[in-house]
Amino acid sequence: MKRFAVALVLMPGAAMACALPPSVILTLPTGHYILAAALTVVLTALLGALTERLPPLSAHLLHEGPDFWPDLAGWTLGFVVMAVLLGIGFRGADDPLHNLLTLVFWTGVWIALPFASMMFGDLWRPFNPWMAPVRVMRIALGWRGKLGLARLGHWPAVLGMMGFSWFQIVSLAPDDPGVLARLMLGYWLAIFVLAVAEGEDWLEQGEFLTLFFALIGRIAPFWRERSQGRVRWMAGWPGAQVMRMAPLTVSQMAFVVVTLGSLSFEGLSETFWWMGLVGENPLEFTGRSAVLGVNTIGLILSWVVTAGALWLGLRLSRALGRGGFAAGPVMLSFLAIAAGYHVAHFFVTLITTGQYTLWALNDPLFRGDALLGLPPFYISFGFLSDPGFMQAVYAVQFAAIVGAHLLAVILTLKLAGRGLRLAGHLPMTALMVLYTIFGLWLMSTARGA
Amino acid sequence: MKTTLTSFAPSRRAVLTGMGAGLIAGSAGLVRPVWAQAAPLKLGFQLHATGIGASYGRWYQRTADAALKKINEAGGIGGRPVEIVYEDDGTDPARGAEVVDKLNSQHGCDLIFGTLFSHVVMGSAPRAGELKVPYLVCSEGYHVASGALNRWTLQPGITDVRSQISSMAPWVAGNLGKKVTMFFPDYAFGYDHRDFFTKAIEAQGGQVVAQIAIPPTETSYTRYFAQIPAETEVLYHVMVGPGVLTFVKELGEFYGSGAKPQLFGFIDSLEAVDTATPGLEFLEGSHFWEAHPRVKPADAGAAEGDYRAAVGVDDNGASVADAKDVATYSHMFSAWETLYFIKQAVEASGYAGVADRQKLVEAMEAISDLPYGIERPQGAKVFNGKTHQAFGSQNISKIEGGKLVKVHTTTIDEGKYDDAVDYTTMSF
Repeated sequence: MKRFAVALVLMPGAAMACALPPSVILTLPTGHYILAAALTVVLTALLGALTERLPPLSAHLLHEGPDFWPDLAGWTLGFVVMAVLLGIGFRGADDPLHNLLTLVFWTGVWIALPFASMMFGDLWRPFNPWMAPVRVMRIALGWRGKLGLARLGHWPAVLGMMGFSWFQIVSLAPDDPGVLARLMLGYWLAIFVLAVAEGEDWLEQGEFLTLFFALIGRIAPFWRERSQGRVRWMAGWPGAQVMRMAPLTVSQMAFVVVTLGSLSFEGLSETFWWMGLVGENPLEFTGRSAVLGVNTIGLILSWVVTAGALWLGLRLSRALGRGGFAAGPVMLSFLAIAAGYHVAHFFVTLITTGQYTLWALNDPLFRGDALLGLPPFYISFGFLSDPGFMQAVYAVQFAAIVGAHLLAVILTLKLAGRGLRLAGHLPMTALMVLYTIFGLWLMSTARGA
Repeated sequence: MKTTLTSFAPSRRAVLTGMGAGLIAGSAGLVRPVWAQAAPLKLGFQLHATGIGASYGRWYQRTADAALKKINEAGGIGGRPVEIVYEDDGTDPARGAEVVDKLNSQHGCDLIFGTLFSHVVMGSAPRAGELKVPYLVCSEGYHVASGALNRWTLQPGITDVRSQISSMAPWVAGNLGKKVTMFFPDYAFGYDHRDFFTKAIEAQGGQVVAQIAIPPTETSYTRYFAQIPAETEVLYHVMVGPGVLTFVKELGEFYGSGAKPQLFGFIDSLEAVDTATPGLEFLEGSHFWEAHPRVKPADAGAAEGDYRAAVGVDDNGASVADAKDVATYSHMFSAWETLYFIKQAVEASGYAGVADRQKLVEAMEAISDLPYGIERPQGAKVFNGKTHQAFGSQNISKIEGGKLVKVHTTTIDEGKYDDAVDYTTMSF
């Protein structure tokens, strides 16, 4: 870097043009959209609080029958797929867009699977790659005991989510297949050892992906409930499951805060605003190596600010409402916001980089196969500069964020408690409005990197 | 372009973020033809698969793969099959240096090429010099010819920005006007335009009457338009980034349907963007520099059609698979031409392995005449072995009916300037 700096001093000028595409979104009257969204959230909160007429968010049974789902087969499949992907990560192409591990993990596990889980409930658990090996190892060892890790609550998963977020948002090369494979293997082994010691049920407390999917799947309008050899297929408005959840523990709340704070910073760190703040020229972004330190601080600050804002909102609401607003239940409503942010933030990646994944799945060895039956095709990003298409993309992001906040407002009204003074709803509503504005601003402001 | 893509997934680096753009072309690089004899020549490609350069990276890879396919089908290089090893540098100078190391040590590449972004070149070239591995860049930066780099770094596939900008002045002064107001982003890229064009237009008897630098983070421009002097005949603009559509829209609102100066821009503003995109109507009738005209000119040479077909680009400069997926057409030929330059030098030097690297660079320095043909679809070039820089013709296109129509081609001589360095006198 030093050499680079010296060279720049010697040679002012000589910079290649910027490759950030002109943004269609910047030409839209997004300020008006954001204002309308904020007003909608406010009105929903006011009407809901004044009339107490809220959607019932009830669950409906679609079908009940015997449960034939082969748990062990699904888990074994998950494990085998992960092992194969790891092998590809270690031995396959270094180019991240030609490596199935990078593609499947970042667009499949981290984007497509959460999206699907938001529709159909937790889809990670049926294929959790730890379950089968952990169960087999515990049987082989004859160990049925526990170490007492459960006493740590969900804090191990909170740490996992923090580390993962840093890796994703800040670290130098999260897309590098070798780096990703080494990290995944190390993480898998660590969790494997702990889960063997503690039992596979601990995964939902200690493993961040398992917990993330378990929580985010609660937003889904369709889900299945399994017990005693029976499966019940259910449907209900998003949030119907949330209403039936136990209040969150402190460590679960911390997990939601870290997830939300990370998503916020993920978007914020790319904005011209943030780049200006940290002295980076977004048109000539120096790359992640130049902002490693400052983005680490930014990420931590984002967690702190998110936690602080939520704490303050709840505290004020409790004071003004003369009670109610217990953190455990009310924080459940932020699951909706986390889900909405996830969709809004990663939707474009899904339709751009997702094309590479589709291609790589169709032709994993890049030799002209068509395993999915797709004809050869060119990856195409033409829509990114098509005003009509990009307005549709913005509409999806807009709907995800506004929908999530409306749901969060309704959940808060329902979960805050009964017989509270109306004023109590003001602080939390204000927080929701701020989050709506912030979320939509992230989607509509100039971004680089 | 990026977005998102950003870097890649995590940052939608969509960007934005690589593998050439194509399945079809993409697979070519990985499928090794079966050769009976020699081990393959391994060429490392420093690819902007993720990060801010991802949108260019996508097309550079597609172009390089297409050239590779053509070269291998025609018997490879020096009778050896050729393989390209792509490594993503995240468009980051620190990672760029690491990638140079990795391509050299881990993959055992014979040489490294393909780098586009200047800051990555500046971060990587010193490492290439230390490792004594030939490093052929495609960045159009003036950094090579200025003497800032080293004996191992060359730019044989694209004219540098100083030459590009300077060669525009005679035509602008002769056809659009002599009193120029310049709009440029307030950093190195913009300063190149400010400094080189100001000097070049003065040499033509013209004058830059205002230099308006726009902060890189600016997204609203109307207030800057008030600074345009009334005497302005030509408005020279090189705005880049997400704000370009806003810039054009607000400029259109500023002038309305009244009198306006002639507009002259660099296609960098709209590289990979359809010029018929709604919102760009104000650019109708205006002129742009292009290195390689996106829309196939009526008088295009014989190689033009073959090149487009190989890369999978139609006559409008868009992907054959998607008319809206406009290529980074004006720049990406450099990946193709650099590969053919490598072929020429390897064959001329009798290069057999890494022990011959010095001999290879010397053979490159000895090359001067690079005639037009399928090896150089953008046009003939002259390579200056002393400054390690290639010089070629530039083009000026006019937007007519939303399409870029080539109206002028400069001579190679119009872009020449005095040598600032003689790398051949430096030690290896």
